[in-house]
Amino acid sequence: MMQGKTSSLSKTSNLFLVVLTFLFLYTPIVVLFLFSFNAKAFPAPWDHFTVHWYQELFNSSALWKSFRNSLTVATLSTFLSLSMGILLIFFRVSGGRISRFLPMFYGSLIIPETVLAVSLLTFFSIFGIPLGLPTVVVSHAVLGLGFVVPIVYTHYLELDPKLQEASLVLGATPSQTFFKITLPLLRPTLIATGVLIFIISFDDFIITYFCSGTSFQTLSVYLFSTIRSGISPVVNALSVFLLALTSLLVLFFFSPKMRTRIF
Amino acid sequence: MNESIISTLPKRKQLTLFNPFSKKDIPFAIGCPALIWQILFFYLPILIMIVSSIFLLSKEGDVQGVTLDHFRACLNAMHFSIIFRSIGVALLTALICLLIAFPFAYFLAFRGGRYKNLLLFFLIVPFWTNFLLHVCAWFFVLEKNGFLNNLLLSLNLVKEPIHFLNSFFSVMLMMTYHYLPFMILPIYSSLEKFNFSLYEASSDLGATWIQTLKTVLIPLTMPAIRLGFLLVYIPSFGEFAIPELLGGDKYYYAGNVVTHYMLGEHTAPLGAAFTVMCSCFLVISIGLFLWLTKKLSKFLMGGCQS
Amino acid sequence: MVKSRSIRLAKLTKSIGGSQIINEVDLHIPSGEFFALLGPSGCGKTTLLRLIGGLEKVDSGKIFLGDTDITDLPVHKRSINIVFQNYALFPHLDVFDNIAYSLVVQGIPKEEIERRVLKILKAFHIESHIFKYPAQLSGGQQQRVALARAIINEPDVLLLDEPLAALDFKLREKMLIELIELQDKLKTTFIYVTHDQFEALTLADHMAIMNHSGEIEQIGTPKQIYEFPVSSFVAKFVGTTNLLQGTLHQLGEDPYMEVPSLGKFHVEIPQKKEWMSEGCDVSMSIRPEKIFISKKPVKNFSNTLTGTVSSIVYHGRSTQYNLLLKDQTRLQVFEQNEEHFPQETIDYDDEVFLYWQKENVVLLEK
Repeated sequence: MMQGKTSSLSKTSNLFLVVLTFLFLYTPIVVLFLFSFNAKAFPAPWDHFTVHWYQELFNSSALWKSFRNSLTVATLSTFLSLSMGILLIFFRVSGGRISRFLPMFYGSLIIPETVLAVSLLTFFSIFGIPLGLPTVVVSHAVLGLGFVVPIVYTHYLELDPKLQEASLVLGATPSQTFFKITLPLLRPTLIATGVLIFIISFDDFIITYFCSGTSFQTLSVYLFSTIRSGISPVVNALSVFLLALTSLLVLFFFSPKMRTRIF
Repeated sequence: MNESIISTLPKRKQLTLFNPFSKKDIPFAIGCPALIWQILFFYLPILIMIVSSIFLLSKEGDVQGVTLDHFRACLNAMHFSIIFRSIGVALLTALICLLIAFPFAYFLAFRGGRYKNLLLFFLIVPFWTNFLLHVCAWFFVLEKNGFLNNLLLSLNLVKEPIHFLNSFFSVMLMMTYHYLPFMILPIYSSLEKFNFSLYEASSDLGATWIQTLKTVLIPLTMPAIRLGFLLVYIPSFGEFAIPELLGGDKYYYAGNVVTHYMLGEHTAPLGAAFTVMCSCFLVISIGLFLWLTKKLSKFLMGGCQS
Repeated sequence: MVKSRSIRLAKLTKSIGGSQIINEVDLHIPSGEFFALLGPSGCGKTTLLRLIGGLEKVDSGKIFLGDTDITDLPVHKRSINIVFQNYALFPHLDVFDNIAYSLVVQGIPKEEIERRVLKILKAFHIESHIFKYPAQLSGGQQQRVALARAIINEPDVLLLDEPLAALDFKLREKMLIELIELQDKLKTTFIYVTHDQFEALTLADHMAIMNHSGEIEQIGTPKQIYEFPVSSFVAKFVGTTNLLQGTLHQLGEDPYMEVPSLGKFHVEIPQKKEWMSEGCDVSMSIRPEKIFISKKPVKNFSNTLTGTVSSIVYHGRSTQYNLLLKDQTRLQVFEQNEEHFPQETIDYDDEVFLYWQKENVVLLEK
C-alpha cells in the first residue's frame, strides 16, 4: 500500500472517479435489469412487475434462434482456432521451424476489423462462396487465430525447454513429449484463450454483419437490424439472462477451486 | 556461487530441438493448417481487396479492366474530411478513455487491497456481454422517452426531454463505454507489476506526487499506455456500428462510408479504394503516435537515458 | 560379452551463434567409469554434454557409444540419460509418475513399472514422497527423484550437469558419497560436468580439464591432474598453486631454474619435454601444501626462500599463510593444523623461512 505524500484530497478524488466510472459502466445494465420486469413495453414508464418478457424470450423464435446461432458459431470457431493453434505447437515440438512465420499472426491485431470484414466479403464474393454459417465460422476462426497463436505460442516459449528435453532424453518420442508434457503444461493458457475467443466470437458484430448474408443471423446482427424499429423488452430479458450467465461463468472460471485445478 | 551457475547456462535460450526424424531441419512448416488458414483467409483476402480497388466494373458488375478512377474519386474534400473526422473521433475516444482509465487502474492496483479481485470481476462482466446489447441498454437510457430524460423531467431539472441520441455526444459516450476496458486492463496489468520501492524511493528523495507521476510512473507504464491506446484507437477508427446506430444520418465516419460502398451496387471497388486510403492514413497516424510517445517518454524523464 | 558403455568423441566441433564453442575435441571415456569434465563457467562443457546426449547437433566429428556411431541417432533413441542442473522434474506429475516416465513411454506393463519404481524409491529413501509433486519437495529430495528418474531405465551412460550446484554444503558432501556408491553399483558410465574442482577430484576415476576456449588441456586421474598439471591453466584451475617465472638451465645434469631477483632453485626433470631448451622461459608450480614454513632455519631441503608473513587465514584443517618475498612476489603456504598447541607460532609480519623439495614442483611451459 502506498504511504507517503499523497494528499487525502487526491485519494478521495481518485475514489470519486472510480465510483463515477462504475456508475457509468453499470447504469444501462441496471436500468435494463429493472425494466426487464416492467409489464408495459418500453418506452412506457414503470407499470407493474412481471416475468412475462422472460417467458416470451424463450418462445421468441427469431431472437432465440439468433442466440443459438451465435453459440454455434462461437463453439465451432473456437474449436477450429484452438485446434489449429495446438497443431502449430505440435509441429514446433516435432522440430519444425516456425519462429520466422510468427509475425504473420500478429496482423489480426493491427488491422481494424472493418478492413478485414471488407476483405473477406470481397474474397467470398469473388470466389462465389455463398454467405452463411460456414463463412461466418471461417471468418471468426481467423479472428480467433489472431489471438490463439500469439498468446499460446508466447506461453509455449516461456515453458522451460529443459522439460521437453528431459522427456526426449528419457526416451519419449516427440509426439509422446507433446501429449504428455507440452500439452498438459499449456492447458491453463489454452482454456483461458479458448474462453476469450469464444466471447470475442459471440460478441462479434462487424465481420459477422459482412459475412453472414441475408439468411443467417447471429445475435449481434439480429439486434442491429431490430434496434431501429424499437426494442422490445424481450431484449431486456435477454440482456439480463446473458449477464447472469456470464457472471456465473466468470465466477466459475476464476473461483479458487477451478484456479487450482486449471492453473 | 549463483553468478557462476547462471553463466554456465547456454548463452541464448536453447530451443533447438532439432528434428529427430531426419538429418536436416524441416525448413519451413508447410502443411501446417494454421499457417495455411492465415494466408488463405487473412492475407489473401486483404490482397484481393487491395487489388480490387483498381477494378473497372461494367454495368452488369463484371470486371472489365483496371483503372485508377476509384482512387481519383476518393481524392476529394469530402473523403478527406471523413477520414480526418474519423481520426479525430478515434483520437478523442482514446484520450478520454486514457483519462478515465489511468486513475481507475491506479486505484485498482494500489488502493484495491482486498477488493481487487472483486472490482476486477465487476469490471470484466459488462465487457463480456454482447456489445449490441450495450447499445440497446444505452438506447434505453438516452432515448427521448428514455430513463434519463424521464428522471430529469421528474426532478424538474429540464422542461423538455433532451435529444441525447443521434448526436456526437451519444456516439462518444458509446465509444468510450465500449472501449474503456481495453484501456484499463493493460494499464492495470502494468501498474500491478509496478515496483513500489521505486515510488517510495522517489518520495524519499523529496519528489511530490505529481513529480513522481511524471518521472517514474508514466514512463514505466508507457508501454502499457501505448498498447491500450492502440487497442482503442485502431478499432475506433474503423468503427461503424456505433455511429450508424447512435449517430443518426448526420455523421459519417470511415466505417459507415466503407460499409455503404461495399454493400452498395457496383461501388465495391470504390469501397476498396477508400479502405486502402483510410488504412494508409491510419498507419501514418499510428507511426506518428509511436514517435510522439517516444519523445514524450524522453522528455518526462528529463532527458536522462537509463 | 558385456556391452561396452564407453564414449568416444572424434574431432567434435560445434559452433553456436557464430562463435566456436567446441573445437575438434577428441575424448575417450572408458566403459563403466565415473568421468568428470571440469572447466570454468562458460567454457563449453555443458555444450559437450548436450552433444553427447543428443540435444545439440554436431557440426562435424563423430560420437561413439561403444562401437556404435551415434552421431546421427536422435535423442530419444540414445541409451543416454541426463540429470539436469535444475532437475527439470515434470511439475504436473507426481514423484511416482516422474520416475516411471521413461518406462511408461516404452510401454512396459503397469505391474512391472510399479515394482521397479517402488524398488528404486526404497533405494533412494524417498518412498514417503511417492505421491507428492516436485514443488512440495526440498532440493535434496528433488535431486534424488531426478536421479532415480534417470537411472530406472538402465541407460548405458548417465550425464550429469552440475546436479549438486543448488544444494547446501553438507547435503552436497552427502550426495557426493551416494553418487560414488551408486555408480559403483550400477557400473553405468557416469559423465559428470562441473566447475567445482572439489567435486571432480572426489568423484572421478578419470577427469578432463577444459579451458575457456573449449579445448581439453589434460586428461588423467585426479591425482595425475593435481600433482602433475601439464599447463599453468590446469595448475591454477585445479587447486591453488604458486607460480614462479624464470629460465631453465643445465638440463643435462643438475638442472636449475633461475628466477630474477630471487636466485637459483634446484629442479628435477623426470621427462624432458620438447619445449625445454637451455635458457628457455619456464614457470615453476609449487602447491602451497608442499612448502614447509618455519621461523628457524631447517636443513635437508633442496630449495629455500625467505619472506614476510602478510596475512594469515584460518581454514580449520589448515592455516594459510600469505607471504611477501623480497621482490614483492606473493606466495601462499598451507600448513596442516596437526596439533592443538604447535611448537612454533607464526604471526603477522614475522620473517620466515620457506623450504621445499625439488621433486615436489612441476615445470610448465610459459
